[in-house]
Amino acid sequence: MRFEPRQPDASVNVSSTHPLTEASTLLVGLSVLVAALMLVAYFSIELLIRVVPAGTEANWFAGLSPVESRAPTSDAERAAADLLAELAAQWPDAPYAFRLEVLDDPTPNALALPGGLVVISQGLLDAVESENALAFVLAHEIGHFHHRDHIRQLGRAAAVGLFATALGAADGSTVGLTMTDLTMRGFGRAQEANADGFALGVVNEHYGHVAGSWSFFERLIETEGDRRFAAYLSTHPASAQRIVALQEQALGQNWRIDGPLSAWPPATR
Amino acid sequence: MTRSEAIAFALNVGVPLFLLVFAYLVGSFLERRHFAQIEQRERQALGFVVTSFEALPGSWAATDATLVTGSVVVSLDYFKRIIAGVRAIFGGRVKTYEPLLDRARREAMLRLIEQSRRAGYDAIVNVRLQTARIASARGGEGTAGVEMLAYGTAVRLDTGA
Repeated sequence: MRFEPRQPDASVNVSSTHPLTEASTLLVGLSVLVAALMLVAYFSIELLIRVVPAGTEANWFAGLSPVESRAPTSDAERAAADLLAELAAQWPDAPYAFRLEVLDDPTPNALALPGGLVVISQGLLDAVESENALAFVLAHEIGHFHHRDHIRQLGRAAAVGLFATALGAADGSTVGLTMTDLTMRGFGRAQEANADGFALGVVNEHYGHVAGSWSFFERLIETEGDRRFAAYLSTHPASAQRIVALQEQALGQNWRIDGPLSAWPPATR
Repeated sequence: MTRSEAIAFALNVGVPLFLLVFAYLVGSFLERRHFAQIEQRERQALGFVVTSFEALPGSWAATDATLVTGSVVVSLDYFKRIIAGVRAIFGGRVKTYEPLLDRARREAMLRLIEQSRRAGYDAIVNVRLQTARIASARGGEGTAGVEMLAYGTAVRLDTGA
């Protein structure tokens, strides 16, 4: 046997595909896959809303709280809980047992959490100037339950989670969804507008007028850029547009937009 | 979307995107340069006998023999890692890893040959290639790199002179 020096064929072990071709093919494929999964998530949630009664949904989430809130203790906090119950009475066939809990946080914020739990911060109780303003904020949160924004939120979070997990798989890291991710992302603009519309109706029924409803928003706009309100703004986009929408709704429904404001904090009962 | 959310989004998307482009540009430049160097060194190594025979051919008479090793540790750049990660979702040939391992294999062989030649040996027999995964520091999860080890027996031949 003779030894013949030969260069090995360098092409067999390395694919000739250009790395950028490979990258773009894969990324387009991933985008299509993710988009398809998100569509599936979206439609299955819409289906879930039709199939699962609100009462069952409330049972699923009863007792779950992703934030460290506590039961009301002070007079003002108990008055807020009473106010929530009075407002909830405007929605007699509500499948939720509404509860109010307080977050020891100086920044004004309000959250609607699955299972009928409304969480308000200490800062919100300090920031509102009238009972009517607080009533609107509470009724707004009830509005989220009325439109079942939680289940939609679950769908959104699942879609976002799918996307994050797909990216996470690519990155080699693990991405887990937490209860906080599911519920704390804040609702979409349309969901906020719907909740506003619901809240205005509830406040009108309760007081016979809608005065003071948007005073909290007006304060938010005045203090825009004030870091203390950043938390509320991150979950509730406040804008002059929202006030205009409320005023148009009140005019359209012939609701009184001025009337006596109830004092806050209320005198001891 | 508030301004802080927009900034957070831009950072979350922008930084990985920048890393991806940067890693691709640097990685492909270094890869091209390495392949060019490998090909040149392979031409120089041409004629040096490297075989996988376990024993010397009967007609050879060795005067000296020793174990020689050539080892390379390679790791992934960000671009290859991300693209291979997406590939792992669909399956198939991990094309971004192939040139990396090809470089490692050929570099290890060249190191084996070059040191044997420098030390005055005439050929290498019983050449084997072996890989080992090097675990990363974080809890042994993930891979910090892969070692490509080439080893064999370098022999000095009695040419009858």
